[in-house]
Amino acid sequence: MSLFSFLGTLEIGLIYGLVAIGVYLTFRILDFPDLTVDGSFTLGAAVTATLIVMGVNVLVATLAGTLAAACAGLVTAWLNLRFDILHLLASILTMTALYTINLRVMGKPNVALIMEPTILTPFEGLFGLPDMYMRVIFVGICAVAGGLLVAWFLRTQYGLAMRAVGSNKRMAQANGIVVKQKVYAGLALSNGLVGLAGALFAQTNGFADSTMGIGTIVVGLAAVIIGQSLFASRSMYVIVLSCIVGSVLYRIAVSMALNADFLGFSASDLNLITAVLVALALIFPKLRKEWKAKQAARNEA
Amino acid sequence: MICCKDLHVTFNRGLPTEKLALRGIDLTIPMGEFVTVIGSNGAGKSTLLNTIAGDISSTKGKILFGERDVTKLPATGRTADIARVFQDPLAGTCGDLTVEENMALAYGRGKRGRLSSALNSNMRKVFREQLSRLNLGLENRLDSEMGLLSGGQRQSVSLLMSALQPSTILLLDEHTAALDPKTAALIMDITSQIIAEKQLTVMMVTHSMRQALDHGSRTIMLHEGKIIFDLSGEKRAGYEVKDLLNLFAQARTDGEELDDDKLLLGA
Repeated sequence: MSLFSFLGTLEIGLIYGLVAIGVYLTFRILDFPDLTVDGSFTLGAAVTATLIVMGVNVLVATLAGTLAAACAGLVTAWLNLRFDILHLLASILTMTALYTINLRVMGKPNVALIMEPTILTPFEGLFGLPDMYMRVIFVGICAVAGGLLVAWFLRTQYGLAMRAVGSNKRMAQANGIVVKQKVYAGLALSNGLVGLAGALFAQTNGFADSTMGIGTIVVGLAAVIIGQSLFASRSMYVIVLSCIVGSVLYRIAVSMALNADFLGFSASDLNLITAVLVALALIFPKLRKEWKAKQAARNEA
Repeated sequence: MICCKDLHVTFNRGLPTEKLALRGIDLTIPMGEFVTVIGSNGAGKSTLLNTIAGDISSTKGKILFGERDVTKLPATGRTADIARVFQDPLAGTCGDLTVEENMALAYGRGKRGRLSSALNSNMRKVFREQLSRLNLGLENRLDSEMGLLSGGQRQSVSLLMSALQPSTILLLDEHTAALDPKTAALIMDITSQIIAEKQLTVMMVTHSMRQALDHGSRTIMLHEGKIIFDLSGEKRAGYEVKDLLNLFAQARTDGEELDDDKLLLGA
């Protein structure tokens, strides 16, 4: 892998680290499998890109993209909490609706940001650093800062209450925790992070596209699983930061697979590779348990 | 302290599966009284407790805590007054969280979730002190995952958790039923200690007639959503398990065999 492509891989891995943290919040903390992220990643990118093209301040545009995505999370939570629609289905409904909404926001299938100012513009040429490095450092700081904030949050009384909601709703309620409020907050935070990732992706890559969010959930899940299998810890800081590391490692693995000519993969094989990787990561712990049980049975016999 | 006035609860109202779970409960429990609640399966014991806690909303009637009408208040709004321990040891604690995190949740019961740190060294000191009362060595396992503890240990911690915050009412729903006799005795011991210490108003649902008579100062029996008798004072002091069973038999009108009840309730 060339240095150029390695830096590109690192950059995307770090951006998707924010997605991984969002997915961790819903899947692991709240026990709420949320597929909204496929739509909210694009929504964050679409809103930000459209506003930038309209001449809005880049920071305001990024913030707007993040908040729009957070609202998408609220819609999913509302469908589930208010009308008892199964969480998975509620999130699929929101995701489907977002596809149209994203096209409407942009007014066309994609928006280019090539000649527009972005959140990175003020840092270009700073300390004489080449743009490639500067971009990696910038998104790295964003991802780590986001991760530290989320980890800090999960250690507060409010965050602990949110973890209790995902673990045991009845106990949470008996201890005076308003369950629904925590689910709303969790989904808004999760999708907000994913929307921020979408906004950063659009600005570092110079475009927003209606199809850019496809498979976001699987990529995020892959990152969470890789990160957690590498760093077994109870510390919230380690767990959340391991999501970012998992995301970077996932990107490097994929990029090596695609670059290895003898494997014969092309870029269009990416989704299959990802799905197989995630499936294996999910299957492996169960298989290992079964093997161990069999071994123990054999030893006793 | 707790006052139920003509309390009715109907499940699946208006549907073919409609069930009248509580049919007019009138009950006044003065401050500091310990009431044991007995009755057969489906009599409405747990429904009564859950309605007082606010998990189930009543279809008719009123609930008052002291002078305060809490009938419309949701469960989370009543937690400043009420502490609970459930029958299922897994229900009262979060298996994914550590012992100290679980206790911190109970420590914050009835307060608003804030953005200050969930745990601090002061809390840990309190938790350690409380856990050492159990003599289970749990005071050295504050950062163990709750899921790694046995059912009895988890129930012991739930019980301590219920007493971490000042509350006035303690609701115990068969909280020793899922435990082995030795652990159940230990839990019952600590329960009595906590109740005496904090001078709580207590309702304890139990299937054991023995337990119902040995603890507390008053016993009520529910049958088909109504209180069919209410024992206290000297009359109660003279009662034995067999007297309770006789009373119970009198109340039964649906013709079920008493022997079954003896098996179920005599233990």
